[in-house]
Amino acid sequence: MNFVKRYLIPRLIQYLLVIFLGITAVFIIPRLLPNDPVNTMIGVMQARGQQLEPGAIDGMVTSLKEMYGLEGSWWEQYVAFWGRLFRGDFGVSFFQFPTTVNEMVGRAMPWTLGLLLTATVINWPLGNIVGGLAGYYSRKPWSRVVDTIAMIVRPQPYYIFAFALLLILGYAIPWFPVAGGTEIGRKIAFNWPTIKDILRHSFLPALSLVILGGAINFQTMKLIVQNVNAESFVQYAKLGGVTENRIVGRYVIRNALLPQITGLALSLGQIFSGALITEIVFSYPGLGGLLFNAIVNGDYNLIMGITVFSIVGIATAILILDLLYPLFDPRVRYT
Amino acid sequence: MAEKKRTILRTDKLKAFYILEMQGTQKIIKAVNDVDMEIYENEIYGIAGESGCGKTTLLKALFNDIVPPLRLVSGKIYYCINWDKEVDVTTLSPEEKRQLRMEYISYIPQGSMSVLNPVLKLKETYKDFIGSHLSGQSQEEIFELARKQIRVLGLPKNILDVYPHQLSGGMRQRVTIALASLLKPRIMIGDEPTTALDVVVQRGVIQMLKMIQENLKNTIILVTHDMGVHANIADRIGIMYAGKIVEEGSTEQIFGQPLHPYTQFLINSLPKFGDKNMRSSVPGNPPSMADLPAGCPFHPRCPHVKEICRQEMPDFCYPDENHRVACWLVGEGKHG
Repeated sequence: MNFVKRYLIPRLIQYLLVIFLGITAVFIIPRLLPNDPVNTMIGVMQARGQQLEPGAIDGMVTSLKEMYGLEGSWWEQYVAFWGRLFRGDFGVSFFQFPTTVNEMVGRAMPWTLGLLLTATVINWPLGNIVGGLAGYYSRKPWSRVVDTIAMIVRPQPYYIFAFALLLILGYAIPWFPVAGGTEIGRKIAFNWPTIKDILRHSFLPALSLVILGGAINFQTMKLIVQNVNAESFVQYAKLGGVTENRIVGRYVIRNALLPQITGLALSLGQIFSGALITEIVFSYPGLGGLLFNAIVNGDYNLIMGITVFSIVGIATAILILDLLYPLFDPRVRYT
Repeated sequence: MAEKKRTILRTDKLKAFYILEMQGTQKIIKAVNDVDMEIYENEIYGIAGESGCGKTTLLKALFNDIVPPLRLVSGKIYYCINWDKEVDVTTLSPEEKRQLRMEYISYIPQGSMSVLNPVLKLKETYKDFIGSHLSGQSQEEIFELARKQIRVLGLPKNILDVYPHQLSGGMRQRVTIALASLLKPRIMIGDEPTTALDVVVQRGVIQMLKMIQENLKNTIILVTHDMGVHANIADRIGIMYAGKIVEEGSTEQIFGQPLHPYTQFLINSLPKFGDKNMRSSVPGNPPSMADLPAGCPFHPRCPHVKEICRQEMPDFCYPDENHRVACWLVGEGKHG
C-alpha cells in the first residue's frame, strides 16, 4: 500500500502531466509556423488554375477555417481540441480533405510498427549478446574482427549506409525491390503472396536498421561489459572457481544489461514517431513520412495526431520501464 | 608442538613480477621476490607488512591466480593435494585450477567491497559457487547444505533470501567466510578480511574464522597489516618487506623477540596498556618495488645499517627452531 501512495500515484500524476504539457506544446508550436494552412490551400487551388474572385477568396477563407477548426482565438481552439481529443477524434487532414487523421495514422501505423518493432526486437538482443561476449572475450581474434566491423559500420551516416545497401542489394544485384511497401497496385490481404511481398519489400529497410542499431548496441554493450568485468564481484566469482558460463551470463552480462534495458524502453517508445530517413530512402510507407509531409504543409491536425501518439508512446514506455526496473535491479526499490 | 607438522603448501624461490609495457618501455614491479615458504596443515599463518609490500600479490600467487600483468618469473608453488604427493600447481590447466578453488583452497575477499553479485539473492550466489563444484547436486541439496552451515555458524536464518545490499559490511564479510569454508577446503586464504570493519565486528569475524579452523582442522593464511589481529589469531607470522619474507616465526617469537629491525618497528608501534609514550613509526617510506635499493631493501630506513647491508641481501639464519630472519645484524657469520 505504501508503494501505491508514495510512489505509484505521484508517478502516474507525473505521467499524465508530461502528456498534458507535451500535447499542449504540440498544439502551440505548429501555430507559430510561418506557413498558414488556409493560405497554402488557396495557393494550391490557384496553382491548379482555378479562377478565384477576390470576394470568393474571403468566403473560402471563412469556410476553410470552419472546416479545419481554426475559428476563434487560440484559447477557444485549444478547448475545442481537448474536447475532440477525449473523444479520440483528431479531426480531418487539411490536405487530404476529407480523410480523417485517424484513418491516415491507422494506415501508416502498421507499416511503422511492423518495421521498427521487428528491427528493434532483432537488433537489441543480437547487439547485446554479441557485444557482451565480445567484451568478455575481448582478447579473442573473433572478438577483434567483430569489433573492427562495428567500428567501420557504426560511424556511417545512416542515409549513406541505407542508400549503399539499396544500391548494392536492390540495383547492382537486384535481389530486393528498390522502393515501396508492396508491389504497386497490390491489395493488402491476409494471404501468403501478400505477406511474402511485404517481407521482400521490408527486408532492406529492416536490414539497414538492424545492422546500424545492432552495431550501436554492440559497441555500447562491449564497453559496459569491459567495465563490469573489472568489478570485484566478477573477480571474486573467478576466484571462487565459478564456471565460466555462469560468470559470463549471470555475473557480467546480467549486470551490464541494466543500462541497456533503459535504452530498449526508450527506443520502443520512439517507434511511434516513425523512422523518417528510412522511409524516405526506401520509399516506405509509414508515420515518419506522413509526419514530414504534415509539417511541410502545415497540416495541424495531422501533426497533432501523430505527435500525440509519439508523446503517449514515449511517456508510457518510460512509465513501464520505471515500474518494471526493480525486477531487473533489486537495488532499486520504491517504498 | 614437538611433532613435525605436515606441509600443505610450499613455495620454492617464487618470483612473481608485474610486467607492464608502457609506450615501449618495460616496467617491472618485483612484488614477490624470491619467496620460500612452507605452510603447515592445521595452522593459521599470518602475513604482515606495510601497504605496498607485496602481501596481496603473494596471496594471489599462493592462490595460484597468476594472471597478466602479474607473471610467474621463476620458482614453483606446490600444493600437497594427496598427502604425500606434492603437485606443482603452476603447471595445471585453467580447468584444473578452477576445480581446486573452493574445494581444496578457497579465497576470502575483503567483504566490504562489492564482492557479491548485486542482482542475485544470496542463495543464487551459493548456487553458482557450489553448483560449479559439486556436480549432480540438486538445487535443494545445495540449499540444504548452505542452510546447515548457516545454522552452525549462527548467521541469520533468512540470509539466503536477501540481496547483498541489504546486509551490513560485517554480515557480508561473514557470508564470504561461510561461502569459502562451505566445501571444507584444506586451505583458506584471507585477504584483509577484517579491514574496514569496526573493532567489535572484527572480533566476531575473527572468532568465526577461529571456530571454522578448529572444526575443519585446516589451514588459514591471513593477510592483514593489523598486528593486533595477528597477535589474536595467528600461530605463525611471516613479516614481508619489499616482496620478501624478512622474518618468520611463531607468534610468540615474533612478538616476544623480534629480531629484524623492521619487525621491531612494527611491534613497537602497537599501543600498550599503561604506556603513555608516543609510539614511534618506521622512518621513511617503503621503497618502490620497481626500483629496489641494492643489498637489503630495508637498509635506507634501518637505524643499524652497516656497510654490508648496502651491498648484499642477507640469507636466512635460524636463531631458534622455526624462527628465521634475514638480517646482517643477526647470527653473525652464519649467513650462507
